[in-house]
Amino acid sequence: MTDVRVIGIGSPAGDDQAGWLVVDALRRLGLAERLSCALRIVALDRPSTQLIHEFEDADVVVLIDATRTGARPGTVRQIDRTECFEVDHSLSGHLLGVASALELADALELLPADVRIYGIEMQSAIANCGPSHCVASAASELAQTIADELLQRFGAPAASDAAAAG
Amino acid sequence: MQIDVPALSRVEGEGALHVRIRGDEIEELMLQIYEPPRLFEKALEGRSYEEVPDMVARICGICPVAYQISAVNALESAFDIKVDPWVQAMRRALYCGEWIESHCLHIHLLAAPDFFGYESAIQMAREHPEVVRRGLKLQGLGNDLIRLFGGRSVHPVSVRVGGFHRAPSANEVAAMRERLYAALIESEALVRWTGSIRVPDDQQQFPNVAMRSGEEYPIQRGYISADDGLAIEPEQFEHHFTQQHVAHSTALYSHYRGGAYLVGPLARLNLNRDRLTAAHQQLLHDAGIAVPSANMFNSVVARAVEVHYAIGEAARLLENYKIPTSPAATVTPRAGVGYGCSEAPRGLLWHRYRVDAQGQILEANIIPPTSQNQARIEQDLRLSLLAFGLHHDDEQLRLHCEKVIRNYDPCISCATHFLRLRTERL
Repeated sequence: MTDVRVIGIGSPAGDDQAGWLVVDALRRLGLAERLSCALRIVALDRPSTQLIHEFEDADVVVLIDATRTGARPGTVRQIDRTECFEVDHSLSGHLLGVASALELADALELLPADVRIYGIEMQSAIANCGPSHCVASAASELAQTIADELLQRFGAPAASDAAAAG
Repeated sequence: MQIDVPALSRVEGEGALHVRIRGDEIEELMLQIYEPPRLFEKALEGRSYEEVPDMVARICGICPVAYQISAVNALESAFDIKVDPWVQAMRRALYCGEWIESHCLHIHLLAAPDFFGYESAIQMAREHPEVVRRGLKLQGLGNDLIRLFGGRSVHPVSVRVGGFHRAPSANEVAAMRERLYAALIESEALVRWTGSIRVPDDQQQFPNVAMRSGEEYPIQRGYISADDGLAIEPEQFEHHFTQQHVAHSTALYSHYRGGAYLVGPLARLNLNRDRLTAAHQQLLHDAGIAVPSANMFNSVVARAVEVHYAIGEAARLLENYKIPTSPAATVTPRAGVGYGCSEAPRGLLWHRYRVDAQGQILEANIIPPTSQNQARIEQDLRLSLLAFGLHHDDEQLRLHCEKVIRNYDPCISCATHFLRLRTERL
């Protein structure tokens, strides 16, 4: 069975919650019963080595994080892995960012072939503040987009279809 | 000549190194810790004792358990609470998880690339994927052991004054125990691998300071010892160890008998070899390490031995696990001063709290291992640079300095109260 991981990365600081908002919305959609794949939805508070552990045994990974690219806040963009970079590429126990974690997983031959990365452009990341309306709205729409993609690829046949086929 | 490392990589936090060389002498060497003070002790004032374990856990994402256990040791001493053997055993098992994850992270991602001449862990991982995968697997096991007790691996939430908020289920414990036993083969292989790493033969003299604890290898409790015979309880720490401000650091400098001293895995091993099993001592012997060791670069083997020890110890502690009637002792606060310490992955972590009759924190003092090692790191840098040879070019000197510093696994964020290198040749 295909093993799918949807991983939202975030923190409690304002729009940095974007990844968490997406996985929360996906959980509410109750996708697991409608898919023929094994689905695991994960919220991480930092990529670190935990992200690499999440890649192990996964066939498909969907990764969502907040981005700051200069685009309009709330803009959702699918990012090519080679586009990811960190301002400070030095690697430490505390500061293993998404780009370094992806690079390290690749070096360790633990990176699944199918990795999709979505970024939601943030407006501000202020501690103890909720997300901005545009980011919350974008997160909700992205959750639906990911759900639709997963249903299209891994949707379990309806009971009546299965009976007809049998 | 002047060498500047303006920001040291693969360490925790922000620091810099400045070295001024005149001819064949080091005129000035300063480890500059400029990460802003975090004022955690001040933030604790006015808080209830019940909040302290969760607050101090936030000081460090790598060693939150150490901060929690030193804190509860101190507060339990203030309230004269004796925790039962179940609590002691489970705290020790939890703490083993932190040693495993912290040491594996340091060995594989932070220190090992230095010894093989790689610029980064990623570069090393491309050429030795099986070694790094094994390291990260063991690190993940440590994280899961912390999660078993604390709900999550970063800033776990189960430790409280008197014991734990909850006891894990017997099924969860049984599953973890099996994983720990299964990992012993890999952790033994890790020790043998670290023993095969060629490190500089850099013998130096320094006092070792670490805890001792009955018949066991010191982790979560014990008294403070040194290789000159010092044996003191935590409340006597300030009578023997001094803290002072220096202009170039936001971390306090610690001295013992007026000079630098070492805390951490090598100091622990040097003072507690007799607390290891014959099998662990044989493994050390096979790895070619004579203990006590005066070569700081043997720290990488010390960490690996402690990983192997911690995995076996945690498995042992989880044998015959039974859920207690209550996972915590009854706590009745009283006014007073409490002192506590434990052996964080990076070394001795000492806490003192003054509390009122309701258990409100009136004053806190936390002395982390990195600030205790600062003077030793500077002393080591001077000796190591001279042994390495000042005739090397600036880049070679910078790389050697970074290797020396990273070998201590400094956690500047914890200590700031950390590396950029600037070298002046005159």
